[in-house]
This record gives sequence, C-alpha cells and structure tokens, in this order.
Amino acid sequence: MNMDAALQTFFTESRELLEDMESQLLQLEGIDEAQLQESLNAVFRAAHTIKGSAGIFNLDFIVAFTHVVESVLDRLRNQQIAIDEALVSLLLSCRDHIAALVDAAEAKEPPDVSAGEPLLAELQQYLAADAQPTSHAAATQVANTPPPFERMAADAVSNDCWHISVRFGLNSFRDGMDPLSFLTYLGTLGNLVSVTPLAEFIPALEQYDCESCYLGFAIQFASQASKQEIEDVFEFVKEDSELHIISPNSQLTEYIQLIESMPEIDQRLGEILLQCGALTAAELQRALSRQQQQQPTAPIGEILAHGDASLNPVLDAALTKQSKVRESLAKEQKSLRVDADKLDHLINLVGELVTAGAGTSLLADSLGDGNLCESVSILNGLLEEVRDAALKLRMVPIGATFSRFQRVVRDIAKELGKDIELQITGAETELDKSVVEKIGDPLMHLVRNAIDHGIESQATRLAQGKSERGEISLHAYHDSGNIVIEVGDDGKGLDPEVIRRKAIEKGLLDEQSNLSDEELFNIIFEPGFSTAAQVSNLSGRGVGMDVVKRNIADLRGRVEVLSQLGQGSTMRIILPLTLAIIDGFVIGVADEQYVLPLDTVLECLELNSAELDSTDEPYINLRGQVLPLIFLRDYLAVRGSKPRRQSIVVVQSGGQSAGIVVDRLYGEFQTVIKPLGKLFSRVGCVSGSTILGNGTVALILDIHGLLDAMIAYEQLQYRR
Amino acid sequence: MTAKNSKIVPANQALSELDYANFDESSQYLTFSLNQELYAFGILHVKEILEYGKVTKVPMMPEFIEGVINLRGEVIPVVNLARRFGLAANNVTRRTCIVIVEVSSDDSAQVIGVMVDSVSEVLEITSDNLRNAPSFGAAIRTDFIRAMGKIDDDFVVILAEDKVLSIAEMAMVEQVRELAEQEGLAP
Repeated sequence: MNMDAALQTFFTESRELLEDMESQLLQLEGIDEAQLQESLNAVFRAAHTIKGSAGIFNLDFIVAFTHVVESVLDRLRNQQIAIDEALVSLLLSCRDHIAALVDAAEAKEPPDVSAGEPLLAELQQYLAADAQPTSHAAATQVANTPPPFERMAADAVSNDCWHISVRFGLNSFRDGMDPLSFLTYLGTLGNLVSVTPLAEFIPALEQYDCESCYLGFAIQFASQASKQEIEDVFEFVKEDSELHIISPNSQLTEYIQLIESMPEIDQRLGEILLQCGALTAAELQRALSRQQQQQPTAPIGEILAHGDASLNPVLDAALTKQSKVRESLAKEQKSLRVDADKLDHLINLVGELVTAGAGTSLLADSLGDGNLCESVSILNGLLEEVRDAALKLRMVPIGATFSRFQRVVRDIAKELGKDIELQITGAETELDKSVVEKIGDPLMHLVRNAIDHGIESQATRLAQGKSERGEISLHAYHDSGNIVIEVGDDGKGLDPEVIRRKAIEKGLLDEQSNLSDEELFNIIFEPGFSTAAQVSNLSGRGVGMDVVKRNIADLRGRVEVLSQLGQGSTMRIILPLTLAIIDGFVIGVADEQYVLPLDTVLECLELNSAELDSTDEPYINLRGQVLPLIFLRDYLAVRGSKPRRQSIVVVQSGGQSAGIVVDRLYGEFQTVIKPLGKLFSRVGCVSGSTILGNGTVALILDIHGLLDAMIAYEQLQYRR
Repeated sequence: MTAKNSKIVPANQALSELDYANFDESSQYLTFSLNQELYAFGILHVKEILEYGKVTKVPMMPEFIEGVINLRGEVIPVVNLARRFGLAANNVTRRTCIVIVEVSSDDSAQVIGVMVDSVSEVLEITSDNLRNAPSFGAAIRTDFIRAMGKIDDDFVVILAEDKVLSIAEMAMVEQVRELAEQEGLAP
C-alpha cells in the first residue's frame, strides 16, 4: 500500500470529518432530545474515526488529544454529562486544535501540543465530574421491558460471559493476518464458551475472491479480563474490522446498539437477533414458522413484533437499521465522487465537440445537401444539450459555503458581545464550483462588516425598539441567468450623510457634487474608505470593501448596496452562473474576429462615413448624445484595407458608452472562455479567448478595460 | 534587442549545464532551420510539429509573439523564433512549421508553439560531439545556447529551451516596452 497516498486520503477525510463535526456541534444547542442524540453520535463518530486513522499513521499527538475529546463525547452520548454552551465552545476549540494538529501533520511540522493543554485540562473536568445520569432514556426503556432479560438469561448469553462480535476486514489475509491466531490468543485470556462463525458475508461463488477475508465470529467468552484487554487482542486488525464487545451482565440496550452498529449488509433480522443473543434459537424458529403460516411476504421483524410486544425496543432498532441500510444504499448510488480534473477534461472535450460541430455545420451549409444539413442540425442540437448537461456537472450547492458562516457569526458576535442569529435561505442554489471557491472571501468580508458595523449593540437595539437579538441573513437565488447572493442585516443601515462627509474629508468627493443615495453607497467600495470611527481588529481599516468589489469583478459579477437608515442594509452580489461560458457577440476587423460580451452590447448602427469624413472628431451624434468612437482597426493595429461600409457597435460598461467601429457583424455566439495564460496577462483590453466554429482562435475583448485604456490614453495625450 | 549580445557566460557554468544535459536527457535532438542556420531542441521537450496555419494576432504584444493558436481546444501562444533572436523574419512558406515545445517555468509546465522556417530531422548527437557555447561570436544571445553539437564538419546550435521560451522574461519585455511608452521614450 502506498502510505503517502493513504496519508493524503487521511488528511482530506479528516478535514471533511472536522467540518462535519463543526456543523453538528453548532446545531447542538436548542434541538430536541432525539436529534441531539443523533448529532452527538455524529460528532463522536467523527472524532473516533480521526483518532483511529491517526493511529494507523502513528500520529500519536493526534491520537492522544482526540482520545480525551472522544471520552468526553462518549460521556455526553451516554448522557452522563449534560450539554451546555460552555461545553459546546470547548468542543469547538478542541475541534480547531485537532484541525491544527492535522495541518501540522500534513506540513510535517512539529505540532503545537502545548496549545492543547489548557483544553485538555478543561476536558478533564468534565471527565472527573460526577457521572450521575441526567435523564437516562435508556434506563427507563430497560425498566419498562423486563421480560427479555429472562430470555437472555435462559439463552447461551449467560450473565457472566462477554459477547464478542467480530468481523474481520476484507483485506485481513492480504495484510498477513490470520483470524485463527487471534482466537487462539483470545483463548489465553479466558475460556471460549462458544464460537459461532458468521457466514452471511461470504458472497456467491462467482464473486468470491479467495484472497479476501469474509469471516466473522460471534463469541461467548468467559474471562476476568477487562474490556481494554480484550480489545487489545484485536489491536492489529481493529482498524478495518468490525469489533463489538458487550460486557457480562449487559443490558438490553447494549444489544440494540450492537444491531445499530452492525456492518451495513442487508441481513435477515432474525439472524441478527440470534447472533447477539437477544432471542433464542427456539423463538426464532417459532417466529419463522408463524411467518410461513400467515403471510409468506411479511418481514420477519413484523411477525416478531406481533408475537411479543415486549421485544419492541430491539425490534425497532433492527427495523430502523434495515431501512437505513436501504436508504444509504440508495444514496450511494445517487451521488458519485469524481476528480475535478476529470470533470474539467470532460468539459473541455465537450467544448471542442461543440466547436467541431459548428465547423461541420458550416461545411454542410456550403455543400448545400439538404439531408446532410438536417442531420447536422439535429447533431448540433444534441451537442448543445450535452454541453449544458456537462456544465451542470460543475454546479454545486452554495449551502456548504453558507454554513461555514454559522461559526464565524457565532465567534465574532461573542467577541463583540452581541447576540446575533444567522438565517440561511436558498442554500440549495447551485453555482459553478470555481465561483463557489472564490466567493468565500468576499462573503467573509461582508458578513464581518455586517456584524461589526451593521448590527448595533444590544443596549442600542433595545433603545430603538428592536429585538435584542440581531439578525444576519444569507440568501441565494437564481435570477435570469445570474445567481444573486444577498448578505443582509437588520442593523443601523448606512447613513448617506455620514458617507458624504467622510468622502469629502478623504478627498474622494467634491463638495458641490450632488449624488443620489445609491451613488453615495457605492463610495464605500472605494479603496481607503471606512465609516468606522474606531479601528477594531475586525474591520475599520478601510481595506475590505474595495477588495470585495475587485474579487467579485474578477468573477465577472457586481455588487449593489441597498440600505435603509435604521432598518439595516443588504449587499447584493450578482454573479454569472458559470465562468466557463458567456454569450458573445462576434465582430470582424479585416481577417480577424473578436468577441464582445453580449451583455455589454446595446445596439448596432451603420457608420455614415460621409458624416464622419466631414469632421475630424471621432464621435457621432446618437439621438442627441455624444457617442465617442473607438476605431478597432487602428487601436488593435490590424493590417488590411477598410471595407466600404463599416458598422458601429454601441457598448456600455461601468456607466460609460462608446461606439466600436468594426468591419463586419457576425452575430451572437455561445462562447466557451479559454484563458490566455500568463504571457498575455498584461494585455488589458483582452479578457480571454475562445475557439470559433472554424477552429480559429478569437480574442474576447474586455470592454471595461478597453474604455479605461482609451481614457488613460487621452489623459496621456493632454499631458504632453 | 541586438543580434549580438556581449554577455559572457563563465565557462564552468556552461559546462555544468552541459553535464546536466548529458546526464538527464536522451541524446536525440530535433533540428530545424532558421535563416539558413541550423538549430536544435532536445527531443524530450518537443511535443509535436504542426503545419503553419491561422495564427490569431494578440494586440499590444512584442513583435516576437506571433499570436495564439488552437491546439485541440487549448489556446497556446506562438513565438516567432527568428524575431525572438533578433534576426530578420522570413516570409511564411509551405515549409514553415510550428513546433510545440513544453518548457517548465515556476514548477508549472507551459506549452508554447515555436514558429520556424522548416523542420529538418531528428539527430543523435553523442556527448563527445557536444561543445561548449562560444563565449562570443554567436548569432544569438549566448545564454540561449545550451551547447553546440558537431555533425560531421558542421555545428548545430542546441538551444536552451527554458531560457529561449522563458515566460517570465518574455512577459517582462512587454512590461519594459509599456513603461517606455508611458515615459514617452518609445515611438
């Protein structure tokens, strides 16, 4: 086995588990009993898995720390200690520390174990605390169901025997383990009362792999050894084996747990019950025969339930397990983990296919064969569907990004002594994975700003008649080919007057200028602008909003500010659905073709050369407005003679309009964007390239960059 | 850029590069001509050879950047090698080729098309037929030369691909030109 690859898997898995752990921990407060138990189990499982895997790789510092956390979680799970806010905070810090340890292990740096010591000390307090059950649901359950105990006592599960259920991992033989030797060694610790092999895992002959281990045993074991000692027997195989040890004199609930934690195979209930000794063989036989008499199709679980109501807890657990197995199987088949590179490769290929398809259709048109044209157009229709489907593969729900902010809001609010709730809506809204990856940072800025500047202190809120608890909302939805993400707060809102004063102070604004509130709000995105009177360690330095704006502009999106003084503000981020494809408008100058983003194009006009020749000025009168012209041929230094007729494409970007003079208009084109690479990073007016139907490369013009460059050029001319 | 660069590479440095070439790479080279002069790339750097087709011009780039082409869906830059060396560029003929070369820069592999007058053949040049680059007198910058390969009585210039096609340097040329333009130095 390649240890490095396995180690990498461990790091990835650990991070996922830690994330899961965090979201579960954040849910812990204020949910009902049943969910609480489930969440606690999930957290426990995460910690346990990390500990176990870390053990394989000898990452002892992770094992040592996680072990203590796990012990506390175990007590929580068994309701020996109660959950409260302080404990949740402590567990969150522990989670962070484990994350730091994992990071250190990955970076192969010495871990900062000392940081964990105060945490360990706190954890120890919970471990030392009196283990009085707070509300022992399991205990009451047991009290209500006395009859099963007699049965257990009558069966092979004699009161002073350990029940050990072990299923060896598939790879046990390959790893050089011999199950028999473990049993022999176990025999040295006590007396093996009975050993029942579990044959259910052995597949049909065709699927049988003679090198795999399908063995499992149910063992009755009489011994004075401690649980730890018995566990240690299976030390070498415990990582990939299923091992369950039930101590002598155990209660019924332990068996319920065993059923719940059994390997997830679709096994007959009766056998499960027989294995763990909750039922005698005779009773199982009776149930089976009754099943045949009554309804041949009724599941055995139901029959048993009819026959003996007292068995309900066990049966319920087993029934839930069966349905869970099916559910999880169904889920497994629904989603598939695919390497992102493979997906990108597929999308590239599909993009090429579309390009090739366009080429074929050009060729078919020129041949003029009707049948050929028709079949090509059907083919292209299908190709477009394939492309859309392929692009959809990259879409992921934004929920995971949103839920990260639960923690952020919680921590920062606590730090600032505010009480803030985060509302998330539209978490299922899907957008391109690359966008999701890049939207995290800007969102973080906006959320922090909302917490720090937006929401007032509790006292102020109460004085203004608002509820004590502030609210921040993250909302995502689709809107005509765009995705909109809103970060809202019900805080004090933006004060246009304050912004105006500050802007004049900083020289960003002329004193006479008369701006609408909306335009004033946009000033907050100017570099160096901050309305915060005091600089905190969170915000107020005036960096942030301009970074937000730039990051979002990089994603070809924009930000809008909506705000009502005293009512709160909302930052609205509008993003394109995908970075890979835009609607383009193809134009031609001499032999070269260029693509303009369609959303910048307003209209197309014919250039009246007579009008232009009479004056020297490069602008025209467009319905009473002055429209400056950019002669693309001259600007891009394209060689070739001018055609008799030229066209003007009226474009708009960032509030400026201009007319771009081109030779030909080719029309709309679905443009698959290809980056141009580092070599061309300095070319300001080109944002990328695409491949046209005939296989040649066309450059995508960046209208915003083009206009900026023109303005800068003019200013340079004036200076001379 | 002048054709003759007087930068002198210390002999020991050139030697160590030579050793590296012998040690790590096969001794096969793809030879091609440029202004009647024979040059070569190490065969391991060459991915494929294309017939010269439509190259899309990219505005505001130095002269030696011919443009970009579509290589099976990837858009890759094409360098006009003659102009890169500061030599006179020949017209495009039927024998003009684009050699697709892979170079590594900043630990990422970069695929670049190189426009040459014509591709000749793949030659095997054993290490005892390799000579150090001359300290001066070569038609191109000496740091572009990895070694000189002796074939019979002739010499072929074996190019240092990573130097000739250094993205960082080529992008810098553009920056310098831009700065000069802003300062009003360039025409």
